[in-house]
Amino acid sequence: MSGFSAYLVRRLAAAVITLLGVVLVMVLLVRALPGDAARVIAGLQATPEQVEQVRQSLGLDQPVPVQYWRYVVNLAEGSLGTSARFGTSVLAEIGHRLPYTIALAVCGTFFGAIFGIALGVLAATHKGRWVDAVGSMLGVAGISMPVYWLGILLIVLFSVQLRWLPIGGAEGLASLVMPTITLGVFSMAVVSRMTRSTMLDTLDQDYVRTVRAKGVAEWIAVRHALRNAFIPILTVIGLQFGTLLGGAVLTETVFSWPGIGQLLVQSINNRDFPLVQGIVFVFAAMFIVLNIVTDLLYSVVDPRVRLFR
Amino acid sequence: MSTSHPQSSQATVSRRPRTGLAATLMFAVAMSVTAYASAQGTPAPSPNATLTIGIGVDLDTVDPAQQTTTTVQNVIDYGLEKLVAFDTQGKIKPLLATSWETSKDGLTLTLHLREGVKFHDGTPFNAEAAAFSLERLISGKVKVPIGAGFKSIKSIEAVNPSTLAIHLKNPDPNLLPNLSITTASIFSPTSATKEGNTPTNIVHPVGTGPYQFTRWNKGSEVVYTRVDDYWGAKPYYKTVSFKVIPEANSREAGLLAGQLDVIMNPPVTDLTALSSNPAVKLIKAPSDRSVFIAINVTKPPFDNEKVRQALNYAVDKDSIIKNVMFDAVNPMDSPFPSSLTGYCKVGSYKYDPAKAKQLLAEAGVKNLKVTLATPTGRYIQDSQFAQAVSGYLRKVGIEANVRTMDWPSYVSGMQQKDAPFELHVLGWAPGALDGPTQLQMFTGATMPPKGLNTSFFSDPAIDKLTAEAALNLDDASRNQQLCQIQKDVWQKAPWIFLWSQTLVLAHNAKITGVSYVPNEKFETLGAHPKP
Repeated sequence: MSGFSAYLVRRLAAAVITLLGVVLVMVLLVRALPGDAARVIAGLQATPEQVEQVRQSLGLDQPVPVQYWRYVVNLAEGSLGTSARFGTSVLAEIGHRLPYTIALAVCGTFFGAIFGIALGVLAATHKGRWVDAVGSMLGVAGISMPVYWLGILLIVLFSVQLRWLPIGGAEGLASLVMPTITLGVFSMAVVSRMTRSTMLDTLDQDYVRTVRAKGVAEWIAVRHALRNAFIPILTVIGLQFGTLLGGAVLTETVFSWPGIGQLLVQSINNRDFPLVQGIVFVFAAMFIVLNIVTDLLYSVVDPRVRLFR
Repeated sequence: MSTSHPQSSQATVSRRPRTGLAATLMFAVAMSVTAYASAQGTPAPSPNATLTIGIGVDLDTVDPAQQTTTTVQNVIDYGLEKLVAFDTQGKIKPLLATSWETSKDGLTLTLHLREGVKFHDGTPFNAEAAAFSLERLISGKVKVPIGAGFKSIKSIEAVNPSTLAIHLKNPDPNLLPNLSITTASIFSPTSATKEGNTPTNIVHPVGTGPYQFTRWNKGSEVVYTRVDDYWGAKPYYKTVSFKVIPEANSREAGLLAGQLDVIMNPPVTDLTALSSNPAVKLIKAPSDRSVFIAINVTKPPFDNEKVRQALNYAVDKDSIIKNVMFDAVNPMDSPFPSSLTGYCKVGSYKYDPAKAKQLLAEAGVKNLKVTLATPTGRYIQDSQFAQAVSGYLRKVGIEANVRTMDWPSYVSGMQQKDAPFELHVLGWAPGALDGPTQLQMFTGATMPPKGLNTSFFSDPAIDKLTAEAALNLDDASRNQQLCQIQKDVWQKAPWIFLWSQTLVLAHNAKITGVSYVPNEKFETLGAHPKP
């Protein structure tokens, strides 16, 4: 087995153990939520018999270890169970919504990465001048602006006043514009701050001075510096993608985007245990995979980074 | 089951229906025939116009028997019809049944069905088909969360293609209203095994309505298309698209941006601005949902009627309605909201802090500390008005702390007699607009876990009268009984009586004919652009 595949197997084995832990914590936490799930699912006007029926069908009358064991066995068989509210397979519900959230998170990440790096580089190369000040201002604004407020503001401007964009929904590329900006602004801010500080460090390095001393164009010097400053930036972008998956909840609500964030909130409110567990599980799995991919990307960006011997 | 006066109630039953029902029926039939045609003056159906409606919650099912939410019912109603329906006044009107009568003993309801009607898949509508849908509700094989109204049904019989007989275990004056709710919708029996449908779960409803279900993109949109050979008056819009927009501010923006024609529940804080906007028309439709603060009467000093009355006098409802509720609610003047059958106006606990203090003194109550629990975002301005109420209670010397909770914890908490709160905010909406469902909040038989009488209030006289009214088929004497109960309950005050909510709708002022049914439903079948 080559070093690379051994490394990958090791990482994946660790991932499976992590996921089993996630399932355990999740099953315990969901059961610890206050309130009678069966009552909420059955509805206020349901009879006691109907409530009992729901309790049994969800297995909520069983002890927690039994519930955990059943969940793991189902998981091994590739099933995430049946939604208590929709009566359909959890996997199907998630499969239906996940692509929307991923599309949004990818667009938000690209938006954040492209504008964040550009802003950060500009700020670093123009340190102390007005460009830097504007960059800092945007950074602070992006981090501190509530997603919800920004979303409504964009809707008022682009939909109500200018009538350029749809207020929400998922019909065509136009409906992606505002959610992407709303979601991407935060990560743009984070990425630009990180880029600025690592670039400032790198631009002070001897090799950059050497390159400049050779008399090359400034942008070539910056390109050299950026390549070397990239590792921490990449880490931030990778982490941001994960945050965006979670952060999509509010954005999806404001823009009526039919993604998984909205579904998660809805299913928590409905105490739809199987669906909540399924979504959390999928989120956890994606986060783990994302971490592995980010680690692998390090060695692509910087050949000196060796993940395995 | 028997009432305490079987003779007298039998006697009145046999006298009334012949004259009363016949007259009502003739009137109702006449009304329904002319309703669309003349009153609304709908222009010829448009070949391509679309009506876009912004709704706040996504559907969880399109199966009429399994739904639990008024918005979902509202959407399902575009494609499926019931045997009977409610008009804008909440009175029962014919739909797929043209007339009906109850047998002398009150144990059989016979319905005469509309002839020549076809389901959207071409299957003929007849008594067999109607029986198929209704039997589902009592079979025990399908989850029917709003199924309590059908418990009196013993069996359903297709007498001939145009006559359906429903045999009952006991006389049930509330069966007809219950046949008007979405749960009792009639769908094509042939469709029950097609397009993903199974007899226990309908995912593609096929009915007889003016529109047919076309598609449901989960989380974003439900689309209905007009049926061109519909048996009744055809609506103007070719397509109705329900857009799922959970955020009220976004719905409002959609209306103002011209992307939505009608929206449900705009942000209540913007009602004043919307009502003065000439591009928007605002409708506050009366509803069946009363909102109140239930008082746990098992916890002293709330076992004392005077203390409960004092709470009612202590709160300035009118001021809260104006300043906190933005006039989106109507004050209660009876334990029943005015849209329920059997409602009678009883009185008002007019704001009178002096009287409240006096009653508290008479009850010997001093330095009272209570907890007022409220959900957040479940009812219009719920946690906000709870704060206002607590302020008013403080003015008469009651220290009321407001406690907010998420809905599931709330539902579980309020069903406990020893819950960590004495007062809690709750709403209750009898979708069949029937008095008895409202009375479940005040009878000993419906305390948790059997029902949601979460004030744990019961009174032998009220229990007895409620049981009698439930079996009384004579409208006039039943209404008298119901009125007496309302007076008694009002006096004994197991709630701080607040208001009945309205269903707030806003639509583009360029269209007209948007209507409603007083059980939290809107109706756009008569809607069209202004000429």
